[in-house]
Amino acid sequence: MSRHDQSQEVPAGAPSAGAPDAKTPWYKTGKFAESAASTGFLFPIIVVFLVLSAVPLVQTIYYSFTDFNGFQAHPNFVGLQNYQKVFTDPSLLVGLGFTVLFAVLTTLITTVLAIPLAVALNSKFYGRSFARSLFFFLGVPSLIVLGLVWQYILSPLKTGALNSVLISMGLKSVPWLSDSNLARGAVIFVAIWAAVGWHATLYLAYLQAVPKDLYEQASVDGANGFQQFIHITLPQLVPGIVVSTFLLITNGLKVYDLPFGMTKGGPGYATNTITQAIIVQGISQSQYGLGSALAVLFTIACMIVVLGQQLLTGIITRRFA
Amino acid sequence: MTPSQRAQVGKIVRTVLINGLAIIMAIPLYYIVINTFKTTLDMAKSPFGLPEHWSLQHYVDVFGTLPIVQSFINSIIVTVFAVFFEVMIGALAAYGMILRNSKFTAAVGAVLMIAFCIPVQATLIPLYKMEASVGLVDSLLGLIILYLANSIFCYMLTVGYMRKLPMEVLEAARIDGAGPFRIFRVIVLPMITPILATVVVFQTLSTWNDFMLPNIFLTSTDLRTVILQVYNAMGQFTTDWPAFMTITVIALVPVVIFFIFCQRWIVSGLVAGSVKG
Repeated sequence: MSRHDQSQEVPAGAPSAGAPDAKTPWYKTGKFAESAASTGFLFPIIVVFLVLSAVPLVQTIYYSFTDFNGFQAHPNFVGLQNYQKVFTDPSLLVGLGFTVLFAVLTTLITTVLAIPLAVALNSKFYGRSFARSLFFFLGVPSLIVLGLVWQYILSPLKTGALNSVLISMGLKSVPWLSDSNLARGAVIFVAIWAAVGWHATLYLAYLQAVPKDLYEQASVDGANGFQQFIHITLPQLVPGIVVSTFLLITNGLKVYDLPFGMTKGGPGYATNTITQAIIVQGISQSQYGLGSALAVLFTIACMIVVLGQQLLTGIITRRFA
Repeated sequence: MTPSQRAQVGKIVRTVLINGLAIIMAIPLYYIVINTFKTTLDMAKSPFGLPEHWSLQHYVDVFGTLPIVQSFINSIIVTVFAVFFEVMIGALAAYGMILRNSKFTAAVGAVLMIAFCIPVQATLIPLYKMEASVGLVDSLLGLIILYLANSIFCYMLTVGYMRKLPMEVLEAARIDGAGPFRIFRVIVLPMITPILATVVVFQTLSTWNDFMLPNIFLTSTDLRTVILQVYNAMGQFTTDWPAFMTITVIALVPVVIFFIFCQRWIVSGLVAGSVKG
């Protein structure tokens, strides 16, 4: 794809013949030149869609019903065998379970922490822009880099940063990332640490749009801070909550970088994720069939979340509009 | 206490609490920055303290042993080209959509909406096979092509903004004899600059930070992006923690600078990007 290709799609003699119709706006007349131009402008994105989305997706669905390993000329049709394997292979099941646990817990805890944080960051205090920037910044660097940094801090070795502090305080070292449950907890903790300021910033944008006189009226009526939060702030934040939880849950389902950086999916398969399983089975081990079955199930799960989100948004906007 | 005194006390309490919390959250960042100036021994003795002797030796070593400059060039090439074409393809498509109202544009709009919901994981395996069959695996061009899938996201953000443009201005230009592409270049592009800035900043961050695609598609050491270089350095410096911290800090510096200058657009992208699935 080059700049040259794009400019060729634009018809050269675009100025159209004939005077513009006074009644119908030109952009709705569907005259040939505009039609050709419109199609020309849409052409690159249609190519992108076909080559990078549609064709590969069809292939993924096809592979998921075969024993394709990348070498056979004619892969055999195996029906639902790959799907059956996804639900019986212990390593894949653990990965599936951790991904769902990660998505649900990061969504719930981040939301519960980000809203009060946003309210705090919206109040008057010294160093406000500094604090806002600092919380927000934690969500900006690459998650693999943050994961690697935390891997050093939480190293189970006695020389690990956190453990050396614990030891100097007379406590025992903790096997942070070498124990399955501690590792799961640590990955989820770090994800929340990175996301909470980012989502607080999102809520802050919604908070700043809440009319000030709502609070003044409530104060006059004698409502205290907590009552104001429940009856004014929270309802005003509902659209923000819909958006933020949607981002958290879809990003949670797609999670890969952070656990991979901190634990490589270990110990054992404790922090394995669906994405990592797709990459390992499908690409590293050339089990295209199995990897594709995982990918299909994953896509269906994402679609269900998107549809659920659309429905929920519709209901909520009608309720609060 | 008068109400104004009480308000002042509340403000001071909040200042201490919120800034204190912010500083606690930032300890990991302090930890990696401060340790780059220590010797390995110094770091083992006091991981969170200030260095006994400030030293830039690790920076000298890291620049001497790792092709960091090459990694930066690779990351810049991939990010600049990928973001430029994503945004142009997305903006052109959005313009094509508003130029005409037909069954064709309606169908394209609906299809793009669905495509927007397909996660990259769903297409990863065939994309790998496809790029392998045409020799694009392990090349920056191959990586840039994969990122073009994001132009659908750019389109989604741009088309909403474009629908609100004053059509009379476009119509006036057309009556004056300007062709559709000229109108796009001279009138539409300047009018959509705010949303383009937002999309560019957002896409720059996500492309620069991406780990999954470079890790799968790039194998040559001289093609590594900055993020991939950091990841590989971990294997290389297993015991030399300050060296690893140093490359991490070097990789974070451009992100910090970018953040300082573009924070405003990242926030607007965050709000506009709410549609991102």
